Amino acid sequence: MTRKAFITESDVRALAADLIAAGTRVVAPGRVGTPLGERIEYRVANKVDEILLGQDEPARSLKDFFLPPTDVILAWQEKKDQVELTPVSSTFAPQVIIGAKPCDAAALEIVDKVMDWDYHDELWFGRRAATTIITLACEGGDRSCFCTAVGLEPSGTRGSDVLLTPAAGGYSAEILTDKGEKLVAAHAVRFGADKGADEARAFAEKGRKRVDANLGLKPAEVRKWLAGHFDDAFWKSIALACHGCGACASVCPTCHCFDIVDECEGLGCGVRRRNWDTCQTAKFTMHGSGHNPRADQSSRMRQRVMHKFCIYPERFGEILCTGCGRCARVCPGGMDILEVVSKVNEMACGGAK
Amino acid sequence: MAETKILAFVCNWCSYGGADNAGGMRLKYPADVRLVRVMCSGRIDPVFIIKAFERGADGVIVSGCHPGDCHYTAGNYHARRRFAVFRELMIFMGIDPRRVTFSWVSASEGGKWRDVVSETVERVRALGPFEGYRGLTGRQHG
Amino acid sequence: MGELQELARKLLADGAVKVVIGYEEGPRGVRPAFITTPKDADRLVFDERCVHNLTMYLTPTRKHIAALGKPAIIVKGCDTRSLAGLIRQSQVKRENVVVIGARCGGVLKDPSVKAAIAEDTVADRCRGCTIREPRLVDHLVGEPKPAPPGKSLVDQKIDELDAMTPEQRLAFWHEQLSRCIRCHACREVCPNCFCVRCLADKAEPLESSAHLRGNMAWHMVRAMHQAGRCVDCGECERVCPADIPLRLLNRKIARVIEARFGHRPDDDPESTAPIGSFQPEDGQEFIR
Repeated sequence: MTRKAFITESDVRALAADLIAAGTRVVAPGRVGTPLGERIEYRVANKVDEILLGQDEPARSLKDFFLPPTDVILAWQEKKDQVELTPVSSTFAPQVIIGAKPCDAAALEIVDKVMDWDYHDELWFGRRAATTIITLACEGGDRSCFCTAVGLEPSGTRGSDVLLTPAAGGYSAEILTDKGEKLVAAHAVRFGADKGADEARAFAEKGRKRVDANLGLKPAEVRKWLAGHFDDAFWKSIALACHGCGACASVCPTCHCFDIVDECEGLGCGVRRRNWDTCQTAKFTMHGSGHNPRADQSSRMRQRVMHKFCIYPERFGEILCTGCGRCARVCPGGMDILEVVSKVNEMACGGAK
Repeated sequence: MAETKILAFVCNWCSYGGADNAGGMRLKYPADVRLVRVMCSGRIDPVFIIKAFERGADGVIVSGCHPGDCHYTAGNYHARRRFAVFRELMIFMGIDPRRVTFSWVSASEGGKWRDVVSETVERVRALGPFEGYRGLTGRQHG
Repeated sequence: MGELQELARKLLADGAVKVVIGYEEGPRGVRPAFITTPKDADRLVFDERCVHNLTMYLTPTRKHIAALGKPAIIVKGCDTRSLAGLIRQSQVKRENVVVIGARCGGVLKDPSVKAAIAEDTVADRCRGCTIREPRLVDHLVGEPKPAPPGKSLVDQKIDELDAMTPEQRLAFWHEQLSRCIRCHACREVCPNCFCVRCLADKAEPLESSAHLRGNMAWHMVRAMHQAGRCVDCGECERVCPADIPLRLLNRKIARVIEARFGHRPDDDPESTAPIGSFQPEDGQEFIR
């Protein structure tokens, strides 16, 4: 069902301008100035010149826009002898994400599985349904990128509605879903006839080669090794530098754990919220009794690797990692998931890669 | 002017007695103030003040024994250092320090208690309700 | 083998320590290392990329490191203030750790980028450093180095903020703190945050939600709990995945404390903490 078209950079911006003018929320990478310097983040674009159509990776993933760091899930009000609950709406206004990294778009599809597992997460899928994602093919990131090792590609189409790949004079656009088709049809004037497909293919190939060089992985072997080495001394050795700060989880596009809290907003009324949480902190598994089944940092680090490369694959047939490398970039202890997984891979494959 | 909500943290040994003394003397002051009695001004964690604003207070009074009079010898001296720093932190973060009154009121100073409350209420009423603080939950990503 | 590596090898070979906590080359620049065998001692490096304050690895919260046995630790001059703080606060016993001081001429902003120390590459906290010579040490390695160049931009920014109207300051902090996602990474990397159970890990009184109200409360409380204890190692700011300028808060409070109580965090384990002590004549011009 996919078809191809072409769009110039100025037309991408014009498309964004049209959307903003029509009241659609546009999210795109943009520069955020801080006293510590500039950072690039996915953010709501109010003006089209704020939109960055470059190769720099936003510091944080797209998950903020589907699973916000804090999100109201209901409101409560004490009445005479009962508590009245008001659910929040799970219908959201349309939003379009422009310039998403392919790995970040793919992450959404991967997390979809757990969000539709024993419970259908209405807020997640409400936002998913309201969002159209235009990804921008990636030239291959830096040394911490390893999307190709986990079954993705720098120019991959997973999770995208439209994929743009740089070609002379603009982008070769691949329209991948009904949602993408609808968006393109509504803004047909911005798109031209298919061209630059060969260039796009070459771009994708180059990107793939570049990331491939970072890490080769045999996921099935890794999974098998992990399943059989829960108590391996390896875990103790890799977690020494870990502060348990959870910065890795907060920038991770696939980490999706949350905590539920009730907050008073006055006498007898308040809201229930879900807030991001992470298995890297000690309190995550702390029982009311004071017992903690994950008593030390190595067991928490193990959980992170296990969940991503063994537990989630077993349950959902997916690796819970997109190889975006953000966790390695933010880790204050210099820990690197790529290094950890490649060591596991070595052990799993008997030393030979 | 509209009534405001002022939360007062008072120590058991002096300022609570001071408020009691004001009552005994039939002194009149605005009813905007609600008292929370703690054992010592040294017990008043700055987070209490933040919490008061989160939960709807428009102003806060913190009161303890005069220096040298602390029932526990030095609780108010410790509190004084803490509040000195906290006050500057509030100012640095752009929170109006006029919403918080720090005071020493002894058990016999009913008149001073009345004055502290009256002045604070007048000031806070002029500033208006502190809805801006408790309404800070508005930001949402998604 | 260099002086540092030879010393570490000897300490391990003699059984004087079980682990040397230092720095090594990692996939993204220099990173913390835990050397447990003499033959691994040559992995140790020390250069201007060693930005990390390693002393938090000595706190009792790091059970997995304590389990390795008696440590030796490599510290820069600035790090010895954290170490002194941990000793002062009964978290570390001086005799239970072998301290290797490394002479430092300033570190870079980012441990993953190799560069020479210069005005635009040096970490802000190093500017105007007065503690390049570690004193609280058992061994001292390296040659004395020149003072890092430049003047702190954080101090400059604080002056700017102080000169603003309250509304402008509030708007500034709202913008900065709206990025906070309440991961509490700033706390986890802090050598001073050794509480077994943090106030922020309870349902009350701090709201754990990453809305501006919760974030304001958390950052004010964090700053207050650091008052008089923060040594401005900058780890909180470095780790923040949202790039919140946390040193502004810490340093502002340090300035207030110095101005009011004449106290500066030092490397003396015996010195008195400014919060937790008092003078009867402390200023009280703000008290009615």
